[in-house]
Amino acid sequence: MTATLPRPAARAAAPAPPGTWRLALGGRSVLLDRRAALAATALAALVVVAVAVSLAVGTARLPLTHTLPAVFGSGSDREVLLVQRLRLPRVAAALAVGAALGTAGVLLQTLARNRLATPDTVGLNDGATAFAVASVVAVSTSISPSAFALVGAATAAALALGLAGGAGTHGYRFLVVGLGVGAALGAVTQLMLARAAIDDANAAFPWSVGSLNSRSATSVAVLAGGLAVALPVAVVLGRQLRLLRLADAVVVGLGTRVKRVRLAVIATAVVTAGLAVATAGPLGLVALLAPEIARKAAGPRVVPVFGAALAGALVVLLADLAGRTVAAPLELPAGLVTAVIGGPYLLWLLLATRSRRLA
Amino acid sequence: MSTLEAPRPTRGDTVADPADLVTEALDLGYDGTRVVHALDLRLPPGQVTAIVGPNGCGKSTLLGALARVHEAQGGAVLLDGRDLATLRPRDAARRIGLLPQQAAAPDGLTVRDLVRYGRHPHQGLLRQWSPEDAAAVHGALAAADLLDLADRPLDQLSGGQRQRAWIAMVVAQQTAVVLLDEPTSALDLGHQLEVLELVADLAAQGRTVVLVLHDLSTACRHADHLVAMRDGRVVAEGPPADVVTAGLVRELYGVEAAVLRDPTSGTPVVCPVRRVAATG
Repeated sequence: MTATLPRPAARAAAPAPPGTWRLALGGRSVLLDRRAALAATALAALVVVAVAVSLAVGTARLPLTHTLPAVFGSGSDREVLLVQRLRLPRVAAALAVGAALGTAGVLLQTLARNRLATPDTVGLNDGATAFAVASVVAVSTSISPSAFALVGAATAAALALGLAGGAGTHGYRFLVVGLGVGAALGAVTQLMLARAAIDDANAAFPWSVGSLNSRSATSVAVLAGGLAVALPVAVVLGRQLRLLRLADAVVVGLGTRVKRVRLAVIATAVVTAGLAVATAGPLGLVALLAPEIARKAAGPRVVPVFGAALAGALVVLLADLAGRTVAAPLELPAGLVTAVIGGPYLLWLLLATRSRRLA
Repeated sequence: MSTLEAPRPTRGDTVADPADLVTEALDLGYDGTRVVHALDLRLPPGQVTAIVGPNGCGKSTLLGALARVHEAQGGAVLLDGRDLATLRPRDAARRIGLLPQQAAAPDGLTVRDLVRYGRHPHQGLLRQWSPEDAAAVHGALAAADLLDLADRPLDQLSGGQRQRAWIAMVVAQQTAVVLLDEPTSALDLGHQLEVLELVADLAAQGRTVVLVLHDLSTACRHADHLVAMRDGRVVAEGPPADVVTAGLVRELYGVEAAVLRDPTSGTPVVCPVRRVAATG
């Protein structure tokens, strides 16, 4: 046996648990998981690189030394136009959409204690899509698709949760019911597109695959606002999120108000997924891939909300970049790229024999 | 492992403030089905109480209600004279700790990570790690004899070690009441003893320990107080040596049994003979 530390020493120093940094000020203290912090830093660095490459690469290639000045308006008119007007908004949309989907994914997976529970699978994306498409083709209204998508995501969540009798002890049921709700709402979208006039259907097309091509600046701004609220909420929920991975009875025993935490988690997921879909349509499988990358990087101690947001931003940026360049001058929608990468991964996840519990 | 070689000194904090846990006319149930009926129970402070009874008799439900997992449908659970339902969850969790059945942890979590969760009710958003937390986690690891294994992933431990890790999580919570739902099920004899010796240590420190146990002889051997339940009601209650008789075994399980005395402890040992119709 190792020698037991004398207790007074432990009391005086308050050594941080291994693998963490303790930031203390007065009586206040915050623990930072080292691996999670390093993972987030690395992902952030990769996002910065991906942003730089996205701004430089396209039908017209710019040297990296010209893109950064062009972001701030210096350089030739052509470069400024290309970077500021065309590429920057698209990159911003990719960042926000990816971050939102990654966040929604990690929240729903934790809530249902199942890696397969994402806004795609539990119907949130389908609900948001159906309502957004309805706002374009079926209803004549001045209300923005963002608002509609939000209502759609909330409707899908309410339906799935209501029919499954809560997400808690019935994580699996929530997932299966969500699949059904999603399928039904997806059919509604198809029906609306089939019956719509061809111009309306064209206008609604991005919502059926997921694309970042010329997305509305308003919806990106609304999404950024949503993220500005959702990410801090997720940080405040962080300690409770970790506990939610355990059995309900354990979580209650540790003094958490489980119902309240769940409600906050689902609301945050609805807002992020709904607004992301309103911006770029249902970008397939980003919400599945991003949390997985983040968890692998951040380790089992934390629920990496920030990591998942960063990984989501990275995945969407790269998918859009690939879509713009691989088959140029033809442009593939980013949703197609994520589906092509994510599909096989999803299959592997379903077929893998190893434990499917959240790692 | 080391439990057999090195006698384990009792470590950890002595509970200064033993809890008084009482149920008053407590009704419990799910979706309209009543599982526990008008239960009046006082759990002796600083002692080990074992709740026994046939499957579905309501013993796990009762334990859940003592830890606020199930809401009372009638009556109340009183902690030091106050209705448990009116306490803030966090305050209640500083007094009552629960280890439910079949607790599972995320893959890759270490023993220390798990034990740290026990500090949750003592922490806050801006109070995430205090000297008390460090001392409590260390003390709980020492009490469960897990200091050597503290940084090992839970999935690499034996069943008994893993169960001790879960109990250490509850110990780190530093509650006056510790509730354990079948802590020895699925463990072999040596691992069962490992866990039950730890339980005895907890009670020796002044904690009120309540166990749900499947095996009547184990309950007799390791509990100070026995509560026998059937169909959601208490059939018998008291020190095991006074309570456990052939008649009780028949009433509880519908089994004719010989009740002998354990040669070492003098506690009742139940030897089943055959199944008969349950009485009572």
